[in-house]
Amino acid sequence: MAERSTEEIEEILIREVANILSMDPAAISADAPFHSLGMNSLAFVELLVVIEEMLDLKLMETDLRREDFQSAQSLALRISTMK
Amino acid sequence: MVRLPYSKKKRYLTGIDWIVQGLDYLNRRATGGGNMFQVVMELDGVVAEDELREALGRISEKFPVVNGRVRRDYNLAPYWEMPSRTAKTALPLIVQHLQDDQDVFPFLERAANMPFGNQREHLAFHLIGSGGRSYAAVTFDHCLFDAHGAEAFLRMLEEEWGKKGPCTRESVPSEPPHLSEWRRKFEAGRQVNRAFLRLTKGAGARVLPLVSSTSKQGFRFRVIPFNEQQSKKIMERADREAGYLMATPYTMAVTAQILHSIFTERGVCSGDYIVPLTMDARQRGGVAGDVFFNHVSFFLFRIDGREVEDFSMLLKSIKKQMYEQVRAGLARHMVEASSLMRIVPLPILSYLIRVYLKGEAASFCFSFLGETGQMATSFMGKKVDRSYHMTRVPIPPGLGVFFQQSQGRLSAYLSYVESLLTEDEVNAIVEGLRLRLGG
Repeated sequence: MAERSTEEIEEILIREVANILSMDPAAISADAPFHSLGMNSLAFVELLVVIEEMLDLKLMETDLRREDFQSAQSLALRISTMK
Repeated sequence: MVRLPYSKKKRYLTGIDWIVQGLDYLNRRATGGGNMFQVVMELDGVVAEDELREALGRISEKFPVVNGRVRRDYNLAPYWEMPSRTAKTALPLIVQHLQDDQDVFPFLERAANMPFGNQREHLAFHLIGSGGRSYAAVTFDHCLFDAHGAEAFLRMLEEEWGKKGPCTRESVPSEPPHLSEWRRKFEAGRQVNRAFLRLTKGAGARVLPLVSSTSKQGFRFRVIPFNEQQSKKIMERADREAGYLMATPYTMAVTAQILHSIFTERGVCSGDYIVPLTMDARQRGGVAGDVFFNHVSFFLFRIDGREVEDFSMLLKSIKKQMYEQVRAGLARHMVEASSLMRIVPLPILSYLIRVYLKGEAASFCFSFLGETGQMATSFMGKKVDRSYHMTRVPIPPGLGVFFQQSQGRLSAYLSYVESLLTEDEVNAIVEGLRLRLGG
């Protein structure tokens, strides 16, 4: 994976979440829990697949703990520790 | 793809719409009633019948699509024919006053099984008064609405309430006949075919035997409502055991274990469980832009009969299959590939659906309808205390377990064709779901 800062990853996540949920990226706050945006299991798996392919990671096989995965902010932090 | 300005009188059906028509044909043949579902709103107050009739009149005038019917075009693509401007068809409304609250649910069950009057009828309303409360039950034809679309439609109906003055006729977004890019469709078909072959290899699906004639039978329903606190706990448990936002695999795994004990007691022990999962496939604009017709796709899960008792292994397998199907784009391929099926007349399509899946189709149907924010919080000026979905499941398998989340509360539903389960089995499933989930 090319080196990306946590902020850059956060931006990518917000863009992809907006794409999947047909939302305006500007309307998504980095700390907004995904479930409060209307994300369901399938949309979440779709996000993980996109991010895995883009950043060459394995996310689905992890424990998917809420505190690490529930927002663009927490997920970006988690991803940057996986680098 | 460029969207051509097709006639406003025609809305071409997608392949998924055609598959839903095929399932409708199967259900009508099996029980007399089609592929329908009912949404019930429990209201805090008495709804004025004349106000509801007026709102129904307005919505029927505003959205003539609700009185359309299926036709085939000269290019053989099936389409939805909009009624002429002069045709006015009132949406059916039956009003019933019940003395005893205990009579409400049996009435709702009967209403959910009532076939539509004719080819142009796709909605039916029941208004039930009991004590100081009322229940608005709306039967939707799956050929015109999916579950999310139905919720959005009820919200639009609520918006028409109390409006005066002329009503503007609105057309639904156009849909082209999709008679191009055949190569892509055939490639998608190949992908779907491979996935189906993988799922159906070996012994057929475990199924509960249907009685040979179900024509006089309807569907029975059980609703398991959880309160806000219980729902929160269920979601927390799903988070802990399956992972964040993994409520769908979690509830599917719980359901599979509970049904497994019923199948085993009956001696249905060979093969694996095949479980179709309906999913929302709207891409842009969310539900509000696509209220009518079916914007869904399907996933298929194979649950190994030998692994089902080990919950953590079962959960892992369901999550893995969900991941692999998303990764392979199966839902998208299914939408593409199904458009090839539109050439096939419904009697042949319904036959093919059965033959393709070795006559057994699936062990049980499953879906998890998440919070959409579309469900009306009030109806005809009365607060909606709770809403329920009662879905007639395709036959076969004639058995389904569904979950719905609305306003922070979760409900589980069991739907089955009358002769499929005994009363003891039904009670065991309901208790099992209540205990495993609600505690």
